[in-house]
Amino acid sequence: MRSLLPASLLLLLLPLVALAEPRFDDPPADSRDGGLTLEWNAEGPVELEQASGPDFDDARVIYRGGDTSSVISGLPDGEYRFRLRADGADDWADEARVEVAHHSLARAFGFFALGGVVFLVLIVAILRGRPRD
Amino acid sequence: MTGLDDPILPSSIAWGLLIAFSILWVVLGWWLGRHNKTAEDHMLAGRNVGLALATATAMATWVTANTTMTAPQLALQLGVWGMLGYSLGALGLILFAPLARRIRELMPRGFTSGDFIRLRFGTFTWRVFLVVSLIYAFGWLVSMAMAGGVLINALAGIDYRVGMTVILTVCVIYTLLGGLRAVIGTDFIQTIIIIAGAAFIAWLTIDKVGFEAIHFNLMEERPELLSLLFPAAIMFLFNNLLFGVGEIFHSNVWWSRAFAFGRNVGFRAYLLGGLLWLPIPIVAGFIALATPALGINVPAADMVGPLVAAEVLGLTGAIVVFIVVFAALASSLDSLLAATSDLVTRDIYRGHIRPQASEQNQFRATKVIVVLLGLLTWLAASYRGSLPIIGSLAELLYFTGAFVASAIWPIVAGLYWRRANPQGAAWSMILGSGIGLASYFLIGFYVAALVGAAVSLAVMVLSTWLAPRPFDWDRLSRDAAAEEVRSA
Repeated sequence: MRSLLPASLLLLLLPLVALAEPRFDDPPADSRDGGLTLEWNAEGPVELEQASGPDFDDARVIYRGGDTSSVISGLPDGEYRFRLRADGADDWADEARVEVAHHSLARAFGFFALGGVVFLVLIVAILRGRPRD
Repeated sequence: MTGLDDPILPSSIAWGLLIAFSILWVVLGWWLGRHNKTAEDHMLAGRNVGLALATATAMATWVTANTTMTAPQLALQLGVWGMLGYSLGALGLILFAPLARRIRELMPRGFTSGDFIRLRFGTFTWRVFLVVSLIYAFGWLVSMAMAGGVLINALAGIDYRVGMTVILTVCVIYTLLGGLRAVIGTDFIQTIIIIAGAAFIAWLTIDKVGFEAIHFNLMEERPELLSLLFPAAIMFLFNNLLFGVGEIFHSNVWWSRAFAFGRNVGFRAYLLGGLLWLPIPIVAGFIALATPALGINVPAADMVGPLVAAEVLGLTGAIVVFIVVFAALASSLDSLLAATSDLVTRDIYRGHIRPQASEQNQFRATKVIVVLLGLLTWLAASYRGSLPIIGSLAELLYFTGAFVASAIWPIVAGLYWRRANPQGAAWSMILGSGIGLASYFLIGFYVAALVGAAVSLAVMVLSTWLAPRPFDWDRLSRDAAAEEVRSA
C-alpha cells in the first residue's frame, strides 16, 4: 500500500505536467500576404523552430525566450511548419502547419489600376479648380 | 535573441519621462489657453494662426501613432512597398492645400466640416456624414490610445493599460485647459522633437546595423519584403494613398485648422506640412526591416518600431524613441480630441439636441464632450486584442479606411461640382462604406479604402450625371452668417 502511494500521486499530477507544456493557441492555417502571428501558452521560456517540410530537415530556431507570440512576415508561397517546446526540453510539445498562397498578380494589378484611375480623377477634379457651370 | 520579456528601458526612467512630459504638456496647455473666453477662441484659436504655427500643426498632427508605430508595422508586414506606400499619405495634406483655400473662401465664418455638408447637401447627407466622421474619429482616437499603451509596454514593460490610461489622461487634461490654441502651440514644440528625434534614430540605425546586413538577412528569411512584385503590397499602395486623402478631406481635424488659419495661410501651410511629412514614414518604417538582422522577436506587429529602435540604440535610443512617440501621440490625440469635441458640440449638441444653445453653453459643452470622448476611448482601448477589429493598430485603422475614403467624393464634389446632388452624396458614402467594409473582410485590410473610394466615385459621378441639381455657392457664406446671427 505504501509503495502504491507515490505512483498514484504521480498519476494524479500527470495532467498538470501535460498542461505545463507549451501549446500553440489557435495557429492560422493559411496566409494570403506571407505573414502570420503565432501565439502560444507556456509556463516559461520556449524554443520555436520554423521549417519548410514535415520532416523539419531545414529547421532553424526563430525564437528562444519568454514571449508568448511571434510575428512572422515576408514568406514566399509554400508550406511552412513550426514547432514549439519548453526551452531546454528534449521533446517537441506542439506543431503548426501554415500554407502561404499570395494573391495573384492579376488581382494585385487590377486593384492597382483601379486605384490609379480614382487618383487621376481626383487630381483632375482638384486641378480644374473653380466650379464650372 | 530578445523580445518583450526583456525591456530595454528601466521602468523608473520610463515613469520619470512620462511624468516630466505630462507636466510639460499640461502646464503649456493651461498657459496657452489662459485667455480663451469664448467657444470661438477655444475651438478656432481666434481664426488668425500664422504660417509657422500652421505648418507645424499640420505636419505634427499628421505624424501620429500611425506614422511612428504603424509605418514600421507596415514595413514589417508589406516590406519596402509598405514603407513607401505609407509615405504617400503626404499627398492627403498636399492635395488638401487647394481645398483649404476654397473652404476659407466659401465659408469664412464656418466652424466644422459638418457645417459645410449640412449647408451644401442638407440634413440627410449631413447625418450620414456625421456617422462616417465619428466612426473614423473614434477609431483614430482608440488607435492612438492603444499606441501609447503599446509603446510604454514595449519599451519599459509597464502594463499596457496603465500606460494607455496615463497618456490619454494627460491629453484630455491639456486639451480641456487650452482648446485649439494649446493644441497648436504644443504641436509646434512636438514637431521640433519629432523631426530631430526621427533623424537621430535613422542615422544611428544605419550606422550600427548597416544596409548590407539588413539586405542579406531579409533575402534569407523574409524575401517577399524586398520583392517589388509582392501582391498584397501592390494592392496596398493606392489604398493607403486614398485612405490618407479620405482621412484629411473629411475630418474636422483639418477643416477646423482651415477655419483657424489666417487668410491665405492654409494653402501654403498644408503644402509645406505635406512636404515635410513625406520622409517621416520612410525613416520610421525603415528600422523595422532590420528585425531579421537583429534577431528580435516581435510579439505583436504594432510593437516593432519601438522594439527595434530600443534594441539597436540601447538605453539612449529607447529614451529618444519614448520622447518622440509620446510627442507624436500627444500632438495627434489632442488635435483629434479638440476637433471631434467641436464636431459633436456643433453638429450633435447644437445641431440635434439644443439648437438654441448660447455661446457659453457651447463652450461648456465642448469641455464636457472632451472628457466623455476620453472615457469612451479608454474603454475601447482597454479591449485591445480581445475584439477582432481592435486586434492591432493597422487593423483598427484600416477598418475605418472604408468609411473615410467613401467621404472623399462628397467633399470634392461638394466644393467643386455645382450640379452634385444631396442623394448622390449620401449614397456614395453609404455604398462606398458598405462595399469597402465587405472587401476588408473578404480580401484584406489593404483594399478597404481603395474599394470604398472607387464605389463612392462611381455613385457620385452617376448621380450627378443622371440627376443634376445646380447649387448657388454664395448660399454657403450667406446661410452660415445668418445662423451665426441667430445664434448670437
